[in-house]
Amino acid sequence: MLEIKDLHVCVEEDPSEKILKGVNLTINEGEIHAIMGPNGSGKSTLSKVVAGHEAYEVTQGNILYNGESILELEADERAHLGIFLAFQYPVEVPGVTNKNLLRQAYNTIAEEQGREELDPLQFEDHAREQLKLIDMKEEFLERSVNAGFSGGEKKRNEIFQMAVLQPKLAFLDETDSGLDIDALKIVANGINELSGEDNAVVLVTHYQRILDYVQPDHVHVMIDGKIAKSGDKDLAIKLEEEGYDWLSEGASVL
Amino acid sequence: MGKVKKQKERTFLQDLLNFQGSLNGKSKFLDEVRLKGAEEVRNIPFPTKKLEDWKFISLRDLYKDSYELASDLDVEVPDLSEHYLPESKGARLTFVNGSFSAEHSSTEDIPEEVLIGNIAKLAEEDNDLLKEHLNKYVENNFEEDVFSSFNKAFLKDGVFVYVPEGLTVDVPLHMLFVQTVADEKYFTTSRSVIVADKESEVTIVEDHIGLGDNKYFNLPVVEINAEEESYVKHTKIQRDSRESIHIARTAAFVHHHANYESYTITRGAKLSRNEPRISQRAEEVEFTVDGLVLIDGDQVSDTHSVMDHRFSHCESHQLHKCVITGKAHSVFNGKIFVRKDAQKIDSFQENRNLLLSRKGLVNTKPQLEIFADDVVCTHGATVGQLEEDELFYLMSRGLNEQQAREMLIYAFALETIENISVDSVQDLLVDEVHRFTENQLDSKLTV
Ligand SMILES: Nc1ncnc2c1ncn2[C@@H]1O[C@H](COP(=O)(O)OP(=O)(O)OP(=O)(O)O)[C@@H](O)[C@H]1O
Ligand SMILES: [Mg+2]
Repeated sequence: MLEIKDLHVCVEEDPSEKILKGVNLTINEGEIHAIMGPNGSGKSTLSKVVAGHEAYEVTQGNILYNGESILELEADERAHLGIFLAFQYPVEVPGVTNKNLLRQAYNTIAEEQGREELDPLQFEDHAREQLKLIDMKEEFLERSVNAGFSGGEKKRNEIFQMAVLQPKLAFLDETDSGLDIDALKIVANGINELSGEDNAVVLVTHYQRILDYVQPDHVHVMIDGKIAKSGDKDLAIKLEEEGYDWLSEGASVL
Repeated sequence: MGKVKKQKERTFLQDLLNFQGSLNGKSKFLDEVRLKGAEEVRNIPFPTKKLEDWKFISLRDLYKDSYELASDLDVEVPDLSEHYLPESKGARLTFVNGSFSAEHSSTEDIPEEVLIGNIAKLAEEDNDLLKEHLNKYVENNFEEDVFSSFNKAFLKDGVFVYVPEGLTVDVPLHMLFVQTVADEKYFTTSRSVIVADKESEVTIVEDHIGLGDNKYFNLPVVEINAEEESYVKHTKIQRDSRESIHIARTAAFVHHHANYESYTITRGAKLSRNEPRISQRAEEVEFTVDGLVLIDGDQVSDTHSVMDHRFSHCESHQLHKCVITGKAHSVFNGKIFVRKDAQKIDSFQENRNLLLSRKGLVNTKPQLEIFADDVVCTHGATVGQLEEDELFYLMSRGLNEQQAREMLIYAFALETIENISVDSVQDLLVDEVHRFTENQLDSKLTV
């Protein structure tokens, strides 16, 4: 579904600022991946580059989605293909309600994918169902996107948006951070509900605990702009216990 | 140099004053008013950039041409029904190039107790209420102003409304000022006087529409008197022709326990100047003077407001938002006066500008003159751009750039229009924002 090949990325405005230095990653339908790694190693950058953020420039390598390069596509065109990013720091958009944003987004994507658009009433039903799934109050539909939301509410709102838009490939960037235990379970439950044979989820996380609820097929460690190691769930447990030092040291020995 | 320029201004003025007398004859009262106005005009110099209050904009475009009197033109009036507000189908007074059009007007939904009519007719009837109120508010409000006097010198027609004590007018009154296409450059005035007596309530929508893209000079003056415990809601929409010049003054008196709420939307005209002037006439008063300016191309829009707190206990609110793109230029000068014994004033003023282009220009100058000590005045001005992060966020959800920009511009604008109580006006403004963003994206793509 997604193939990231030798991806090198720098900051558009400052090409000397190299962030990703040769990332390779393959994600297939039906899989759940976890990406871990120290602060500043490039996890969010990778997520944003896949979603089409213009602040970054790909200097080498490629991103293929269903076999075709998406590097030339705008963020909205990637969303139309079914790519979704839950932001590590969700943006507040005062004046734009969740409902208005999501209805327009849903219908634009539906149109692009040749699916049926929903009229306002149908959409509201659909949105209400998803709210229930992640145990959010109905008033969140009418509130401005993330404006004045608590940290945890913002994260939950990202999952709510994912639930409404039903993407094929979702990058969830630290959606588990800042959630209380109950919220974590609810969010994890939401992710499980939404992941199926046809779609894939990439969890960017610092904590093993969400992986107790969402079982990853693959765990990757990103260090200094590269995937330093990949493994299964046990890798996450080892990282939790031992930190990242052993990986960096190993790398320097090589 | 200076002399030549002065000569030109004089020509423009003189030309017009010659015709001013041609309006006379039907009402002795109006004849005298006009005479007085003409006398004032002769004694007040026309503003230039040298005056502090006019230093940011150039009136050369106004002074360089001569204008015909709109009432002398013979024009064809197309179907205007697309501009009617559904809420006001029985509460509309229409003026075409400054003259009342009975054909396009109806007041059947206005309660009988209300005195409503066009000024020309009421003046012919020598109406006492008209004579009592006309000019009272604009004359007793602040410094002399040549354009108000000009409006007086050419005072011909407009709206007069008197809502008697205790009455609530449920339907919004649509005051529709239409300017037609014409070969000649013309000059048009209107005067509207709205008097809400004690404990009454009325909503007015002042709507200026240019049907073509021809040049004309529109000079409306509105007078409002909100008596004790009355509530006046006033929305002004300015959609004059893109080549026109619009210079307007609104003078409002707000009395004990009254509330005057106004929203001014500026979208049209090549050069526009709005001068809302609110005068607190007794203790315990509330008023709002919000504004939204959407300008692009080479449009210039200037708002010079005065909020005059003359007594204790007043809550005033002014949120003025501007969206500027292309080479457009926005000016804001908001004066807040708090007189010496006016204590317990709570005044809010903010001018927020969304500057979407590199060549756009913003001049903003809040101005506080406070002579009392127990006063809370918050004021501020900001100039910002669309946030890249917000755009990316919306686009990552699937909105294309046009949709995302539009949503953000709408969100920015919303705060200044969401309290407008007439639904169809809200819808109309949503459409205006839509068209505004659409144009903006088009021009961006062709650059
Ligand atoms: N737009 C930018 N301009 C300059 N530097 C940037 C930009 N975006 C990211 N960086 C830098 O790139 C590096 C990687 O950042 P990124 O946000 O991808 O890290 P991360 O792995 O997500 O970290 P964390 O775990 O703290 O969220 C950091 O050093 C960051 O400062
Ligand atoms: Mg991060």
